[in-house]
Amino acid sequence: MLSIRDLHARVGEREILKGLDLEVRAGEVHAIMGPNGSGKSTLASVLAGREGYEVTAGQVEYLGQDLLVMEPEERARAGVFLAFQYPVEIPGVNNAYLLKAALNAVRRHRGLGELDAFEFLGLVREKMKLMQMDESFLNRGVNEGFSGGEKKRNEILQMALLEPKLALLDETDSGLDIDALRVVASGVNSLRAPDRAVVLVTHYQRLLDYIEPDFVHVLSGGRILKSGDRTLALELEKRGYDWVRQEAKVA
Amino acid sequence: MNAVVAEPVEHYRAAFESLRPGQGDSAAQRAAAFERFAALGFPGPREEAWKYTSLRRLAARRFPAPATDGAAPALPEALAGHRLAVLNGRRREDLSTPGALPRGLRVRGLAEAMGDGESLAALLRVAHGGGTERFAALNAALCPDVLLVDVAEGAAPEPLEIVLAATPTEPGMSHPRLVIRAAAGSHARIVIRHLSDDVERLVNSLVDVELGPDATLHVYRLLDTGERTFHIERIEATVAQRGTFVLHDAQLGAGLARLDLNARLAAPQAAAELTGVFLADGSRHLDTHVLVDHLAVGTRSLQDYRGIAAGRGRAVFNGKAVVHPGAQQSQARQSSRNLLLTPGAEIDTKPELEIYADDVQCSHGATTGQLDPVALFYLRSRGLSENQARSALTRAFAGAVLSRMDHAPFAARVHEMFDARLTNLLEERP
Repeated sequence: MLSIRDLHARVGEREILKGLDLEVRAGEVHAIMGPNGSGKSTLASVLAGREGYEVTAGQVEYLGQDLLVMEPEERARAGVFLAFQYPVEIPGVNNAYLLKAALNAVRRHRGLGELDAFEFLGLVREKMKLMQMDESFLNRGVNEGFSGGEKKRNEILQMALLEPKLALLDETDSGLDIDALRVVASGVNSLRAPDRAVVLVTHYQRLLDYIEPDFVHVLSGGRILKSGDRTLALELEKRGYDWVRQEAKVA
Repeated sequence: MNAVVAEPVEHYRAAFESLRPGQGDSAAQRAAAFERFAALGFPGPREEAWKYTSLRRLAARRFPAPATDGAAPALPEALAGHRLAVLNGRRREDLSTPGALPRGLRVRGLAEAMGDGESLAALLRVAHGGGTERFAALNAALCPDVLLVDVAEGAAPEPLEIVLAATPTEPGMSHPRLVIRAAAGSHARIVIRHLSDDVERLVNSLVDVELGPDATLHVYRLLDTGERTFHIERIEATVAQRGTFVLHDAQLGAGLARLDLNARLAAPQAAAELTGVFLADGSRHLDTHVLVDHLAVGTRSLQDYRGIAAGRGRAVFNGKAVVHPGAQQSQARQSSRNLLLTPGAEIDTKPELEIYADDVQCSHGATTGQLDPVALFYLRSRGLSENQARSALTRAFAGAVLSRMDHAPFAARVHEMFDARLTNLLEERP
């Protein structure tokens, strides 16, 4: 589904990704872990098409298409979803408006008809229940005045509604208490399906207790240094990242 | 005074001579008003009140004198249950809603009002000071009639729309004049809607507003005029004790527009809420000067304008509040927020406060910026097109002011115009 080869990217003059390779197939959940500044969030931003990130070398293929030439909205419509590390507050733009506009944009792309107000409300209510969100959130500005946990839940709500093929979660667990973490995890787990893939970018293995990954990768210095199954995450939790770096140097 | 500035005065003098409006006292007062205009002339390039707005193009035009009558334009649906139509500054019964006015309203022309003993000096007075005094004087000289609208004491009439239009398809000038008096304890809503087609013209409008004690008046102003209209307007409101004047201003028309909005809070607890939005796209130039005078104890004012410019559009907002000596416990709040949608657009904003009392609460803020790129990316990452995202954010920006427009037909028309213009200008982007 997603094939990243020798990806180099920089922000301004600073090169952050230095030859990253990653292969994600449909149905898989990948966790990308690594120390601060290793390039985890840069990877998520590059994949979503955020401005200011310049790809200097390498390719990213998504479902047979060159992802890097697509506009952010084309990526979204094609099924790529990024749950932001810091969801943006947009006062004056109604949350329901965004959800509906986003859903209809994606549906049009998939050749499905737009939902009318009634159908939309039915669907969004169902998903809000899953995320344990009050309906009053619909009539507020996008993320306006939401707490940290509410913002993250709103991200997963959008994801649950849009049913992406490739979900990228950028430190969605940061700043969540254990109850919110469970809700967010169950939202993500509800999306697990043979035709979907999830890439979790995270700092801590805590999230992986709730969302079990098929693969765990260690990202450091802009490259994937080591890959393994979920036991690698437990080992990282115990031993930190240094040994991986040492090992990589020796190799 | 150089030739470019003096010459147009002679053109207007010829128009004045040919029309000779008024008789007796009225003629004398109009002649004096004209001389006031002639003495002030068109603004020169160094006049502070016209720093960002040049009238050179207007000064070069030789619009024929206003027609006394003329063909009527097709008018769009009214924005209130009752419409009062004014064509070239003259009331037109045939274009107005037939039958009686809403209860509590009375409308008279100059002759009738004078027959009733109203003061000519008051009805044709020349507003003093500011950049538009010359045009207020020209209006007093050339207005074909005065529309005197009275809201009866304690009345709460159904909303009224006053539509001000000009003869279609013929270039020309018009000088409409409205006097609105809200008597003590009344509560009224009046839409003032300027309409014109796409023909070059000058509209030089004057609105005098007087609020009695405990009166509340909401004026909904809409510039729904063609892009080749020069629109100059002066609104003067005087508010008595505990009265509240509320202006909802939607500047969505005209090619070159200047509004001088002056509110005098003349007695204790008088209040003015002046809010609006202006959209200067294409090559429009929209200039708004607001002046609020706090003259008594416990007076309150709010100025909240949001401006948007795109293309080669340009806008000016100059908001000033003066708290005079003795006007203790007054509150003056000003906010001017501006959004530039494209690189060539420009908005100049200048909030000013002058405070001569020590126990007051005053605040002002002015910003000019662009759409937030982070918010744009967020919306696009959810599948919204760039235009959709820009449009949603621009609407949200104006929404803070638009949402206060609490007269539904007016708000609906403003939203409709705003959305159509936004769609156009976003699609035209390269």
